[in-house]
Amino acid sequence: MMTAVLMILAVSCGKPGEDTAGKTGGESIAVFTKNQTNPFFQTVRLGAENAAKQMNATVIQYIPTVQDSITEQLSEIEDAIIKRPGAIVFIPVNSKALVPGIEKLNAANIPVVNITDRVLGGSVISFMGCDEVNMALNTGRFLLQKLNGRGNVIILEGVGGSENSANRVSGYRKALAEFPNVKLLASQPANFQRVQALGVTENLLQSYPQIDGILAANDSMALGAIEALDAARRKALVVGLNGTKEAIDAIKAGKLLATGDCDGFSHGCLGTMAAVRHLRNLPVPKEFIFSVMVIDNTNYAGLDVPYDQRMCPSWESVVRDK
Amino acid sequence: MSSFAWRLLGVLLLCVVLTLSSSAFLTVGNLLNVLRQASLIFLIASGLTLVILSAGLDLSIGANLGLSACLAAAVIKATGSIAIGIGAGLGCGMTIGILNGLLITMLRLPPFIATYGMLWMVYGINYWTMAGNTIYGFPAAFREIGSGYLLGMPIPVLLMVLSLIVGSVFTRYTTWGHEIYAIGANAEVARLSGIPVRRRLILVYTLSGAMSGLAGIVYLARLNSAEAGIGEPLLLPAIASVLIGGTSLFGGTGSLGGALIGAVILTLVLNGMNLLTISGNWQPLITGVILLLAAGIDTAARKWNESQA
Repeated sequence: MMTAVLMILAVSCGKPGEDTAGKTGGESIAVFTKNQTNPFFQTVRLGAENAAKQMNATVIQYIPTVQDSITEQLSEIEDAIIKRPGAIVFIPVNSKALVPGIEKLNAANIPVVNITDRVLGGSVISFMGCDEVNMALNTGRFLLQKLNGRGNVIILEGVGGSENSANRVSGYRKALAEFPNVKLLASQPANFQRVQALGVTENLLQSYPQIDGILAANDSMALGAIEALDAARRKALVVGLNGTKEAIDAIKAGKLLATGDCDGFSHGCLGTMAAVRHLRNLPVPKEFIFSVMVIDNTNYAGLDVPYDQRMCPSWESVVRDK
Repeated sequence: MSSFAWRLLGVLLLCVVLTLSSSAFLTVGNLLNVLRQASLIFLIASGLTLVILSAGLDLSIGANLGLSACLAAAVIKATGSIAIGIGAGLGCGMTIGILNGLLITMLRLPPFIATYGMLWMVYGINYWTMAGNTIYGFPAAFREIGSGYLLGMPIPVLLMVLSLIVGSVFTRYTTWGHEIYAIGANAEVARLSGIPVRRRLILVYTLSGAMSGLAGIVYLARLNSAEAGIGEPLLLPAIASVLIGGTSLFGGTGSLGGALIGAVILTLVLNGMNLLTISGNWQPLITGVILLLAAGIDTAARKWNESQA
């Protein structure tokens, strides 16, 4: 009986029968992101909208009004369960704390595609994200190679205790381990914020007369550090992470060395495509890790396009059957 | 010794400790650096001091800073004119302040609620219009406001000193200033003695809004970029600066000089931890301990003063 009710609900939400696979449209996909402030999540949302449009589905965005609020994202899940979208594309604001939310969605039989940051429990159709440690490792290595393996560097950390920051900092530290002649002068938090990175860098420039490289755990902090260097008329190579438009412009202007990118736009695209494909009974990989790109002045050209003019790549060109 | 002198002594003590533990601390470069970093918090804290002196509260200052900065940024980009951009930013800040004042005096909403509601509305407008984007890259002449020097002093520091002097003269030596203290001490008595309470309160919130607008412009010039959420992390430090400086949350007592000391203490703690490269894991705990110590010494000093009197 229960199954029958669920079947009816599922059908009313656009889940096709076997015979109509690949020919339907109008599925509704709820997309959960962490906040309205970080440009990365805006690119994820734009990617999701673009993919939905291409596949003739619709997207509803759920964004906490208080940034990265665990309680708010949990209540948004409860709201979504009442509205019953066909499927959910989900970025947890916290990998562990949102597990009960995923379990609620499992109990309500709403399929979940987990993107960007892995949620550590419950069951999901697919995880599509990037390896943040690896992203920082490649970007850090790129800077240290440019320093010819010598010199003094500092790390600007993100929010203390956050997984993103911990992973990125550990990636940078792994890169440093490969270059024994580079000295890590300081690793200090600036909470992913530009104004704090400006202050922290200004302070560190006071105590260290020679800083050759700055490894920032996101682009905003890298750009704040550059402002501090400019104001102090000092020079150092700076890298950030996230591949934001502003970072690419700074690379073009010769101020930023590089930014490591895992392409939030593609996360939004592929996550939404996976959700729609699942509803259309098309195959979806259990796990997909996006490749990391280190963007510098040799390869930014194709990425220098406003996100609202970008188009999602086709599913087949990115996801190869394993 | 007055409680203000005690607080000043506290700052000096902190400086002595930092001088002994880091050779980089006591240099002209670093001291200017600390003042420049304190200036942003002080600018919003100075307007907030007036509000708190009148026994009110303004929770919208951070959101106001964000919207004013984003609007100034958009206007500079659209018109190419620095002056119009600055005008738009200051105007935006003042308008939000006037609206706060009207909500509090005309609708008689408690200041906490009125300005908390305003905070959400302002963030809402800003998040919606900015849609996660960042506006960046401004003319060098405009950026001078944030990173330039005049007579060897960073311009944000000069703006801070200027607002301290103008604000202190206003609160201490003008009738309007005295009336703000009187309203904070007892609004009903102030009204009965003929003070136009509503008009003075509207003035106070307008000034607070204008200072947020000014801080937004300094932020924009210093960071060369604006996004919607930039003011959010500045609200609590600004309130803390005012209160650490000895202004009573119940109104009627306090000063702008106190807010400056509060902003400098908050900045010194971070500066010191960076110079000593204390691990990020310990920084919040140490910040908390130092703030509680500062407040504890202040309370003890006040009790001791009272027992002497």
